[in-house]
Amino acid sequence: MEEKLISHQNMISLVSDLIKANHLVIGQDDKSIGWKRIADAAEIKINHSGIPSNVSYKEFVFAKTEPIFYYKNKKDDFDLVEPNLEERKIVFLGSKPCDARSIEIMSKVFNWDYKDKFFNQRAENSIIFGVACNYQDEFCFCTSVGLTPTTENGSDIFLVPLAENNYAFRIVTDKGKDFIKPYEKYLSDGNSNLSTEALSKIKHPEKRFESEKVRKWITGNFEHKLFDKVGETCLGCGQCAFVCPVCHCFDIVDEECNYSCGRRMKNWDACQFGLFTLHGSGHNPRDNQGKRYRQRIAHKFKYYTDKFDEILCTGCGRCSRGCPVGIDIAAVASEINFVANQV
Amino acid sequence: MNELREKAKELLNAGTVKVIIGYAESTTPNRTKPIIVRTIEDADKLVFNKFCVNNLAIYLTRKEYKNKGTVGIVAKGCDVKAIVQLIQENQINKDDIYIIGVNCSGVVSELGQEFSSETIATKCLNCSVRTPHLHHTLIGAIEEMPKRNDHNFETMQKLEAMSSDQKWNFWEAEFERCVKCYACRQACPLCYCERCIADKSIPRWIESSAHTRGNFSWNIIRAFHLAGRCIGCNECERACPAEIPLSLLNRKMGMVAKKEFDYTAGIGLDTPTLVGTYDVNDREEFIK
Repeated sequence: MEEKLISHQNMISLVSDLIKANHLVIGQDDKSIGWKRIADAAEIKINHSGIPSNVSYKEFVFAKTEPIFYYKNKKDDFDLVEPNLEERKIVFLGSKPCDARSIEIMSKVFNWDYKDKFFNQRAENSIIFGVACNYQDEFCFCTSVGLTPTTENGSDIFLVPLAENNYAFRIVTDKGKDFIKPYEKYLSDGNSNLSTEALSKIKHPEKRFESEKVRKWITGNFEHKLFDKVGETCLGCGQCAFVCPVCHCFDIVDEECNYSCGRRMKNWDACQFGLFTLHGSGHNPRDNQGKRYRQRIAHKFKYYTDKFDEILCTGCGRCSRGCPVGIDIAAVASEINFVANQV
Repeated sequence: MNELREKAKELLNAGTVKVIIGYAESTTPNRTKPIIVRTIEDADKLVFNKFCVNNLAIYLTRKEYKNKGTVGIVAKGCDVKAIVQLIQENQINKDDIYIIGVNCSGVVSELGQEFSSETIATKCLNCSVRTPHLHHTLIGAIEEMPKRNDHNFETMQKLEAMSSDQKWNFWEAEFERCVKCYACRQACPLCYCERCIADKSIPRWIESSAHTRGNFSWNIIRAFHLAGRCIGCNECERACPAEIPLSLLNRKMGMVAKKEFDYTAGIGLDTPTLVGTYDVNDREEFIK
């Protein structure tokens, strides 16, 4: 790993060059709602000490809606047309550690049996400028899922805010190193003592639960009333899944333009919806909200861990912050820890 | 607080109600969350304060409670509007609910914030039902309510002054952020259809894709379905992760209903619903 230094002014020049080079630079929007394509380098906002955006940036890798092919009916046959894949580099600017790992985590499922070329192409083209996070509220729990506010893993470049609007510029991966080569003029020599000192001042959220305990407990407590209790007030609105940086379920639907043509779309979906598991027969194996909430917990802390050795959660706290009825996933996981400890 | 808890215990003990839908303290400050109280023990968790923003009437149409004995509900005036509307629309039976009305002096717009004249919810600003207009028992006292400018109304006036193209651009930019999670629908006490038009696929009326066309058709159709029915609790807007100002649409519809038909949703228990009645003298100048 190499340590460099960049001033805020040089950061703007760097972003300006990246935009000129036709890279997609993705930064957080002004209102902290979501992320957008940056058109003007002067508007960059590296959010290291503010609340995470409502919605994560996953839509730029795993699109909220996209065509997977177009079709045209002929007399006895049909033509399929493949959509164009995004060729450009996608630069995520100022990704907190709880976002920076999201693409790696989702990559596991998108490459498990079927290789999802839409996701993969964009994931490969992604360059993640992570930033050490100096924000913490009652919903943050990255330390309960194996991350910290200073985790570099997941970032290609890792920024550490220093005094006078400077950033320590740590080159974490080879991908980051190759990418930044043409722009080295904006970097000066770094001093790892300064960044190490800055990092040591960052307070880590208190660990709220043991993820491993949740994983083990679920196996023998599938029908536990704890899930029904959450399900009682859960509205099944699915905002938790839609704002989550690693929830990745999708639905496939056809959209006709008229009788002779159309396109097949891949759209975000969520396990909190009643329709998600509704069979054509009318049977629904997850026929109440408690079972759907159990699926959310089990997928994040058990199934994904069992299968891919990853926790499907980065502790960003978005789902809990945004829940209209105040369901806090870390509180539920803590309660499971508490119940598990009783036995 | 004690008044509320004692009343709840009394109702449960006497068997007047089987469950009470209310608010409980959250694990984090300046927030509350809904609670379903079935035991005397749980009744001690009930609270009412400035952070009770949720409209709990959403739970009344759930099949767990429908036709299964009397359900108690802690309700502010705005929540009672939803209850009245649900009764008018024959979704709940008046005799199956017991309303623990609470005198309200405003709630926060977003949970987690301190309550002040800056953060008081838009729905509170012109509230006419601070004492719930329908209740079986009444709790608490009316206190002075903080005041602020109605920014939401100011935005609406700006919108009204816009040309069709400008309006289109405004909403296109807002709907652009829609992720089609349908949290607006799920949080709405009046979106109770067992099968929503958005979920129907043969034929598909509303595309589920979160592109411009899909987002417009969803949000506009939802606004129309709530025309003359929306009671203005703004739960849709609060639930929206993309912060789309849905209240602007709903409030406009409500104002048209008031102006053209002198009708306000959720107020008169014996008034027939606006969209459920027809009069040859109905005005139609607003149809363009």
